[in-house]
Amino acid sequence: MTFILNFLPELVLLVGALGLFVVALGESQQKFARTVALLVAFATIGAAAASLNQHADLFSGAYRVDQFSQLVKLVLAFGFACILLLSGDLPDIRAEVKPEYFLFLTLSVTGLVMLVSCVEIVSIVVALELSSFPLYLLVPMRRERAGHRSQMESAIKYIMFGVAANGIMFFGLSYLYGLTGTTHLFPLASRLAPVVHTPLAITGLGLAFCGLYYKLAIFPFHFWTPDVYQGASNETASLVASLPKVGAVAVLIRFVSLATPENPAVATMLIYLAVGSMFFGNLIALVQKDFKRMLGFSGIAHAGYALIGFVALDQAGFTAALYYITGYLFMILACFVVISRVSRDGANVAIEELAGLHRRSPLLAATLLVAVFALAGVPPFVGFMGKFSLLTAAYAQGHLALVVIAVVNSAIAVYYYLQVVRQAVFGESNPAAVAEPLILTWPTRGLCVVLIVGIVALGVAPGTVIDTIFHSLAFVHSGPATALLGR
Amino acid sequence: MIFSLSSSIFHFPLALAVTSLPAEVGINHYLLLSALLFAIGFFGVLLRRNTLVVYLCLELMLSASTLAAVAFSRFNGTMDGNIFVFFIITVAAAEVAVGLAIIVALFRLRHTVQLEELTALKH
Repeated sequence: MTFILNFLPELVLLVGALGLFVVALGESQQKFARTVALLVAFATIGAAAASLNQHADLFSGAYRVDQFSQLVKLVLAFGFACILLLSGDLPDIRAEVKPEYFLFLTLSVTGLVMLVSCVEIVSIVVALELSSFPLYLLVPMRRERAGHRSQMESAIKYIMFGVAANGIMFFGLSYLYGLTGTTHLFPLASRLAPVVHTPLAITGLGLAFCGLYYKLAIFPFHFWTPDVYQGASNETASLVASLPKVGAVAVLIRFVSLATPENPAVATMLIYLAVGSMFFGNLIALVQKDFKRMLGFSGIAHAGYALIGFVALDQAGFTAALYYITGYLFMILACFVVISRVSRDGANVAIEELAGLHRRSPLLAATLLVAVFALAGVPPFVGFMGKFSLLTAAYAQGHLALVVIAVVNSAIAVYYYLQVVRQAVFGESNPAAVAEPLILTWPTRGLCVVLIVGIVALGVAPGTVIDTIFHSLAFVHSGPATALLGR
Repeated sequence: MIFSLSSSIFHFPLALAVTSLPAEVGINHYLLLSALLFAIGFFGVLLRRNTLVVYLCLELMLSASTLAAVAFSRFNGTMDGNIFVFFIITVAAAEVAVGLAIIVALFRLRHTVQLEELTALKH
């Protein structure tokens, strides 16, 4: 019985995926499939909340249920429900594959939810792939039509970079295994500590992180990001942009704690990657016309900000990174709600098309403003508090130059974020402006309000959330509670 | 008759080759080979322009990690590496299934598998 409670969110998702598979076998079941997926999403939120305080080591210690993993699972389940609500009836997905779309969506979230609990190399690999493969398949499911023939191209780029990053990660993982003789993370950490200065260990760690950098879209592994955002449908892009990043940060926390703070090599590597991501993302985002493509480049920059938390290599830094990426989930989902509602028939949205949004739909305009100001790091929204706690953590460890570079980058980013605001609020004279009002459905209105409240509440009263994350992180570093791990 | 003759022919040079190898093949030889395989795969991915060849190079990278894991498993004396290899092979098979499906779909749409002709997304 306790096992069922420990494993409840995963069980709900697995049963839901199985049910969706059966539904997808029938003809034109898209309405039913969407209902099932929504039920699964809300049941997963309930299950994750119910198992929030569970502690267990399952499957011979390969799978760890602790406060940290359950907290991230709750965030992931919430994001899953938001994505289902914002995707609506999937206007830009080919009609014959709509039920399968919900199946792959659920499977991908299942992989992410399992990923955050994995503390063993093989199970991490399996969960990472379970979350990746459905995503590779969701991208080319977009409809084909005149002016929109790029979905296959972006799918090829996505999977090529994905497999390459995974190959590099596997190579690094086999080095880590070779140095320590175990694939469990806790014994691996203790056996790696004496040899962590050797070139083989640093190579292994550096390469092993690559698969997660790819998920997070960190600088040398970012090439797929703007193309996939642009080529995939709005709903798929909202998934690619949000949930995998939360999962990647959670696993990166488990991985980076393998490297001890006394080891400067890992921190130096992280600094270079963070600086590269911030400059690359922000500078190229300045000239973008397509809103999704701009969000892609800004996503690279935000991954760079999140990496600043890891540079500190201590609990405060990890807390800040997880807090920031949770806030980013809210902000980016709010942007994508606006995109998928403003877009005509599921097409991509140029920044100019946002012109006069506050007349067409005040609620959407408010959502957009809150999200964009939060992304730009304006107080009192979560983006500001997130950046603040990241920079505090890095500064406490003496990384002054990195802090200065991050602040300069935030200043650069303000330009292109305000460009969006300018179009949405003052862009009426624009010839591209459309006058007809946008009618929102009630679930969309609810979603907008929830996201606005989330962005504001996380920014105004971050204390509880940061404390909860901070305390849950204590479990990441402590070894297994039971004596399951004899090796 | 023919079979036994051919087998006897092939046995002789094979035995010769085995005895003429260096006295001990250590972990370093395996690691060098796997690093070479990895480098060939990695630079192939970077430099080749045909999607199918790039895919072959990606598989080469996965084989490199397989070889490293098996060698480490043998010299560490634990079985975890061998288990890891089974999962890498499974993952590689799944990757081929998904990737080739996308490549076939791309070819039907564009009648090309050359990467330099996929430029619709450049700005």
